Amino acid sequence: MKNLTTRPALVPCTLALAAALVAACGGGSGSRSVIQNKGSDTLVNVAQAWAEEYAALRPGTAVAVTGGGSGTGIAAMINGTVDIANSSRKMKDSEIELARGNGNEPIEFVVGYDALAVYLHPDNPMDEVSLEQLAALYGEGGDVDTWSQYGVEVPGCSSDEIVRVSRQNNSGTYVYFREAVLGERRDFRLGSRDMHGSKDVVDLVENTPCAIGYSGFAYATDHVKMPCVRKGEDGDCVSPSVDSAIDGSYPIARPLFMYTAGQPEGAIREYIDWVLSDEGQCIIYEKGYAPRTDVDCS
Amino acid sequence: MFEATARNHRNRKVEGLFRLLFLWMTCMLILPVALILAVLIVRGGPAISWEFLFTQPMNNMTAGGILPALVGTVWLVVVALIASVPVGVAAALYLSEYAPDNRLTRAINLAIINLAGVPSIVHALFGLGAFVIFFRFGTSILAASLTLAVMTLPVVIVATRESLQTVPLAFREACWNMGATRWQTIRKIVLPNSISGILTGVILEVSRTSGETAPIMFTGAAFFLPFLPQGVLDQTMAMSLHLFVISTQVPDVPEHMPFGVALVLISMVLAMNGISIAFRVYLRGRKKW
Repeated sequence: MKNLTTRPALVPCTLALAAALVAACGGGSGSRSVIQNKGSDTLVNVAQAWAEEYAALRPGTAVAVTGGGSGTGIAAMINGTVDIANSSRKMKDSEIELARGNGNEPIEFVVGYDALAVYLHPDNPMDEVSLEQLAALYGEGGDVDTWSQYGVEVPGCSSDEIVRVSRQNNSGTYVYFREAVLGERRDFRLGSRDMHGSKDVVDLVENTPCAIGYSGFAYATDHVKMPCVRKGEDGDCVSPSVDSAIDGSYPIARPLFMYTAGQPEGAIREYIDWVLSDEGQCIIYEKGYAPRTDVDCS
Repeated sequence: MFEATARNHRNRKVEGLFRLLFLWMTCMLILPVALILAVLIVRGGPAISWEFLFTQPMNNMTAGGILPALVGTVWLVVVALIASVPVGVAAALYLSEYAPDNRLTRAINLAIINLAGVPSIVHALFGLGAFVIFFRFGTSILAASLTLAVMTLPVVIVATRESLQTVPLAFREACWNMGATRWQTIRKIVLPNSISGILTGVILEVSRTSGETAPIMFTGAAFFLPFLPQGVLDQTMAMSLHLFVISTQVPDVPEHMPFGVALVLISMVLAMNGISIAFRVYLRGRKKW
């Protein structure tokens, strides 16, 4: 019978130990100020690069970066769970009202510009595309379904059917594409492949000869083709690049935003100022986005 | 006297056929596991090094290591255990040792089974609403771990209750007859004899929590953090989310990195399960009945 009375000492001991550990470590990181930064998938890699660089620069401030999409960041701003929301679209008036209602006045900062590139499989012979052609493909009521309607024959795409690659509807890229290409009131047509990240779009197009997609220029790889984009039938066809986004000649380039809850102060102010400084702007430039002003990053 | 008839022969043939069929199905079951492990080891193996395990990510998470994610996962699991094990064991003790078999008890049992079936993304939204926003824990280890704890509570309760019920009733009766109270019986007889089953439940919970992504995405896990968490109110990186992030969100990640992260994650889970099995065998060996 002896071993029947052995005490299960292990469990309480482990628990006590762990509890003591937590108690000893306290609630959060004491003297360090932590900035919560959440939102746009387009901006998330730049936000991460900023945070990584800033950590080396100011060890006293830590920036916690989370993605999820512009909508996620804006929702968090409305709920008051972030310090800085990243967005690749402007906040809507209704969203600003909601945030105000919760006591968070959103303050807007333009932190750079992004050219929205159209992506094609490298075997696709198409070299230029107009906004009107894109609208007829992506927009509700559009009548383009096959590559031959664009007058091209794509090697490796025997079905001739165009695989439309788009984004999930809380993505800022999705909202901007709709505004800039389809027009405010026109909806997307059903039947597209809606991807959950900027990189996913490029990955899919890279491996699908029949596909066309749109995503930030910063996500371009060597294995996809980016046709130049024309506005109107007789407009200049401009290739997506950081330079054409800066000078405004590329027709689908958009501002990228950071929103703070109320006028930023202290560590948040310092961080925003650093992001907007030449140093911060050169980081966004290196990541393939356009800085908000001309900076010399050589 | 017992001549084999034609029917006997046929039966034997059918028997052999089914045996083969079932064997084949079993092999099909093992095949994916073996393939996954083989692919991970071949493609992720070269990524594993001390630097990979113990340094911060660098260059947009395309270089360097996974230390913050590794430490973060340990934090999440430990805090989730602290929250769920006492509650789960207490609930199982009540259900197994005290509760009369009435409607309320049956309703509670049903609720536990249903809780186990709730999709993890629903738990995630519950955690966001309850812990992050309502209780104002913010996106933190505390909120994420409590969400994980709620999600894995049924695992602990069911495993504990089952192991409590393997203790023969005669043991309890003998103890009661000596004049011991219920609690004395539980402490001296029931718990010591069911500890192996309880620990198995706990370790199963560990392996499940360490792999979950959805419940921590909204409640406490970050895409990137430049520091290691210092306390339960800090946000954290986690292995599972890190794997998702570097395989779908970050451009130019060297191919061996996601495989390396997956290999470390699966090794953690397999090691946990291994410990659980070893513990079980050890404790069962000490049983005297």
